[in-house]
Amino acid sequence: MAISSSPLFAQNLEGEITYEKVMRWTAIYSRLTFLSNEEKGRIEQTWGKDDESKTKMVLYFNEKQSCYTYPKVIENEHGWSWSERDYKIYRNFEKETKTDVIGMLGKTYIVEDSLRIPTWKVMNKIKEIAGHMCMMAVTEDTVKGQKIAAWFANDLPVSGGPELYAGLPGMILELDVNDGDMVVTAIDIKMKPVAAEDINVPKKLKGRKINDKQYATLVSDHIQDSVKARRAPFWAMPY
Amino acid sequence: MLAAHAQTGGRFTLKGTVTDTSGAVLPEATIMLLLPKDSSLVNFGRTGKDGSFEMKNLKRVTYIFKVSYVGYVPYQEIINPENKEVVDIGKAKMKVLQKELYEVVIKTARAPLSIRGDTVEFDAKAFKVPPGSSVEDLLRKLPGVQVDGDGNIRAQGEEIKRVTVDGKRFFGDDPKMATKNLPAEAINKVQVFNGKTEQAKATGVDDGKREKTMNLELKDSHKKGGFGKAVAGVGTDSRLEGKVSYNRFNEKQQFAVLGFGNNTNQSGIARNDYQDFKGSQSFNWGDDGDFGFSSGRYYGGDDITIQPNWGGQGSEGFTKNWAGGANYNYDTKKTKLSTSYFYNSTRSITDVRTSSENFLTDNSSYLTDGKNKTLAFTGNHRPAFRFEHNIDSLNTLILISNSRINGGDNEYSSETRSYRNEGMLTNRSDVNNLSDYNSFAMANLLLYRHKFKKKGRNFAASVGYNINNSDEDRRQNSVNQFLQDSTKNSVINQLQQTESTRGNFKGSLSFVEPFAKKFFWETFYNYSMRKDKVDRDVFDVEGSVNEVNPFLTRYYTNDFTFNRLGTSVRYSHKGLNLAVGLAGVQFDLRGKFALDESQQNMTRVDRTFKKMVPNVSLNYSLKNNKYLYAEYGLNVREPSITDLQPIVDNSNPLYIVEGNPDLIPQTTHNAYAGFNMFNPASFTNLYINAYYNYNEDQIVYNRTISADLVTTTKPMNISGGDNYGTYIGFGFPLKKTKATFGVNTGISFSNNLTYINNVKNETKTDGYNFGARLDLTPSDAFTLYTNANWNISNTEYSINTNQNQKILNANYNAEMNIKMPKEIYFSGRLNYRSYKNDQFGFNQQVPILNLSVYKLILKNKKGEIRFTANDVFKRNLGITQNANQNYYSERRVATLSRYFMLSFTYNMRGMTASVKRNGFF
Repeated sequence: MAISSSPLFAQNLEGEITYEKVMRWTAIYSRLTFLSNEEKGRIEQTWGKDDESKTKMVLYFNEKQSCYTYPKVIENEHGWSWSERDYKIYRNFEKETKTDVIGMLGKTYIVEDSLRIPTWKVMNKIKEIAGHMCMMAVTEDTVKGQKIAAWFANDLPVSGGPELYAGLPGMILELDVNDGDMVVTAIDIKMKPVAAEDINVPKKLKGRKINDKQYATLVSDHIQDSVKARRAPFWAMPY
Repeated sequence: MLAAHAQTGGRFTLKGTVTDTSGAVLPEATIMLLLPKDSSLVNFGRTGKDGSFEMKNLKRVTYIFKVSYVGYVPYQEIINPENKEVVDIGKAKMKVLQKELYEVVIKTARAPLSIRGDTVEFDAKAFKVPPGSSVEDLLRKLPGVQVDGDGNIRAQGEEIKRVTVDGKRFFGDDPKMATKNLPAEAINKVQVFNGKTEQAKATGVDDGKREKTMNLELKDSHKKGGFGKAVAGVGTDSRLEGKVSYNRFNEKQQFAVLGFGNNTNQSGIARNDYQDFKGSQSFNWGDDGDFGFSSGRYYGGDDITIQPNWGGQGSEGFTKNWAGGANYNYDTKKTKLSTSYFYNSTRSITDVRTSSENFLTDNSSYLTDGKNKTLAFTGNHRPAFRFEHNIDSLNTLILISNSRINGGDNEYSSETRSYRNEGMLTNRSDVNNLSDYNSFAMANLLLYRHKFKKKGRNFAASVGYNINNSDEDRRQNSVNQFLQDSTKNSVINQLQQTESTRGNFKGSLSFVEPFAKKFFWETFYNYSMRKDKVDRDVFDVEGSVNEVNPFLTRYYTNDFTFNRLGTSVRYSHKGLNLAVGLAGVQFDLRGKFALDESQQNMTRVDRTFKKMVPNVSLNYSLKNNKYLYAEYGLNVREPSITDLQPIVDNSNPLYIVEGNPDLIPQTTHNAYAGFNMFNPASFTNLYINAYYNYNEDQIVYNRTISADLVTTTKPMNISGGDNYGTYIGFGFPLKKTKATFGVNTGISFSNNLTYINNVKNETKTDGYNFGARLDLTPSDAFTLYTNANWNISNTEYSINTNQNQKILNANYNAEMNIKMPKEIYFSGRLNYRSYKNDQFGFNQQVPILNLSVYKLILKNKKGEIRFTANDVFKRNLGITQNANQNYYSERRVATLSRYFMLSFTYNMRGMTASVKRNGFF
């Protein structure tokens, strides 16, 4: 699998994209195998009308790197603040490396490894997101067992994207996990110089260092244990 | 990396130019190479300024060459390199995306457009049509689709011969059947493709003919039918139970009915049944319309609406219960309407034996024993209404109106005997009371919330009016004998007619102003004005003559006004929420008392109390599931008007209740703090908390006991009582998902003050609690959940020290579940309680064992047949003990004990049985 950043294209591309991440909890709960139809129906009937939670996320990017994390100022409309779990996803397309700082399973993990791109299947589907024509590509998260659909922009030739996804011919402006369980959509794209501290991996990172393989083992063990214990696995890690 | 293997001879180069149909070059177009088997992307790049591209070192396999360019239909071509070194595809000509499609589908509807082979698919959700429109109306909006006056549909220029719904035929072959009858909002996607003819499908021989077919994909929410459940059970000892529930819901509406009846002491609505009944309106927060922090808050009213039964045991005695109702919710983002009606009734027989020991100041005591029987009936009608309307994104209006119409009767008879010293009978009393009552309660609230454009700035206002009126007729008959002083003997034969009305107007305001990004400043005001009017006429009945009893007949009114004005500032950032606030509270109590309403010189109570109440709270959600919290507040409780009345109530001649007009409000300082932690990876959890409460001017009931054992109580203020304690709980898996162990321990100290015969008495109670639990969940066929709890409580009295007592309580629980072949399950529950009190030589063991065996039956496991044995050892004796403030009592209620029951459940959604309990989800 190769990523050739085309020599034909050498434009100064950097900026920040604000995404809105929408979680649809009834859909997420309906996937819990240990719940009965009756329990799923009850969840849907009670919460179905009011089951969305929305958060804003930011992706800083240039042609070589990107960093996806929380916005610097988190809007606090209800006058109540919850601590956010650590979530900083660094990508280096040039060196083909990644550093993911992820708070999960009660700890902060730093996943450092080479940048592996999932096998994307490009579909014949187009739509517009935030003023950009996007094409659909799909893949699968085999660890979490999720269907992934990404919409990438033809006219933003950076192989970045939100969450843990990248590696398409253009910037991913929308990511749909499991047919709408979680949808991350770009709502604002600003082309502007990006400060080094927003995009470079900090020298010092607190957390336990692991690699991709260890990450996959942790996550799949946790999902299996949770299902055995009839607990929802997604409260302890990013969906 | 492809580039790294450039030397391999088997590689080839692909080149060409991307242009539009007229031949104009398209620079910077995205070019991709996909594998034909699954469209997986193997290489990509961009065209140059001249529209040309060259991809080198390509593996010698067949590819799909794909180009995408804004405003053009994606281009696709199969590349087979064969033996060529260089494959030049020449000009890849891209077609302009039909303007209509682009504008309508992509720009306006923001819908994805997919061209998959010969299928053009629209995401119908994106096309807005007015509510109530048919699919036909929706189709008219779709680009490339025409619907004529007769409802005939043409797509991409061809007539649609067939319309399927979710791939299936919809009521015959007429394509208009579905499009005219289905609502547009039920449709998720519209697909148009060339389908095989019906003949080809039937014969399995593809005749090559294709018919334009349209498939309508339904939204999940419109696939839902109803779900329902029915249970019926018959048991020994004429036990019966039955329950029916049915729900239907779609995108906008929810409808539910629930009904049950039993004589197995189940009077409450189970939590799940409550949730299925109320649907999306099960839980509404903030519906009390009271704003501001908790310190000094005034809580008015009681539960008028139905409440879920959060577990717990059935009622005591023997009860027959009936209940039923219906709920309808209309639920959209803009408007939420919920109406329900519920009726429940309980007829109960309570047979009680009591015995008690009362300690007097001079180290002596007297004993009382008695028995009483109550036959009671109570019924409640509960209509409920809630309307919420989001006027726009900034303004919300909520209107709530709930009522309860209650009626019932009560027949009470008792015999009481008191003994002093060596079993010497001092007095006896036989009582027969009959009462008939009804009441009407209603709570109305209008709530308005406004969000300002500035995020975090909010205003809210509420007004409410509550009514609670009741009417009771009561016949009291008693014969009281004092064996040492027969002059005090009495026979009471009274009729009491009480009419009471209560009206409560309340209002609240709140304004929240955010500042410096991390701070919120709230100012609030609460007002409540409650008017009570009680008219009690008491007659002494002699034969058929009713004569007014001037000592007990009363007319009184009370006005209680509450004002609270407060302000608080909260710092809220990165999980830390720290709030500091102060409020001023004022209570005004105004009462008038007289024999009847017409009297001129009424006794008046007119008191005003003022108090400043602080509130400090901390909530800190730390990283990785750790949570820290603390709060300090002051609670103020005004004396009840009954306590303030200068009235002597001697309706029970052995227990006389007096009021005290000099009472002042009771204040309690309370502080608590705690820490919770949960490690989701190891499933370890830890809970720690501590609390401290200190009472100032606590209202306690002073008891004076006369030589002939008549107790007179009178409320008084006293300061200095306190209680404090701490709790620690820790749980961890011994073997993940198979065995979990937990321990918890708590200690508590309390000091209660009271006066006995005008001597101050301190009752100190030290409590020590220790518990352990072990959950064994080795497989999906067997589980065992056990826990044990030990509690020691030491009570010391400052007077009557020889009555100091130590109570030892132990509680053991075990639940075993086994899954057997053929969908047969077994479940056994044992609850073993022991209660030991050496002071009274009491040592009681109560083992309650419940067993059940059940089997899932019918297609899709829709049925369940169950055999239950309740209280196998027949030990549910309904014993409770109470040792408190120089008073020890024991009560035994004849209660439903052993019975066996056979029941059948039918669940439309299918039954599920699991030996494992659900975890946190």
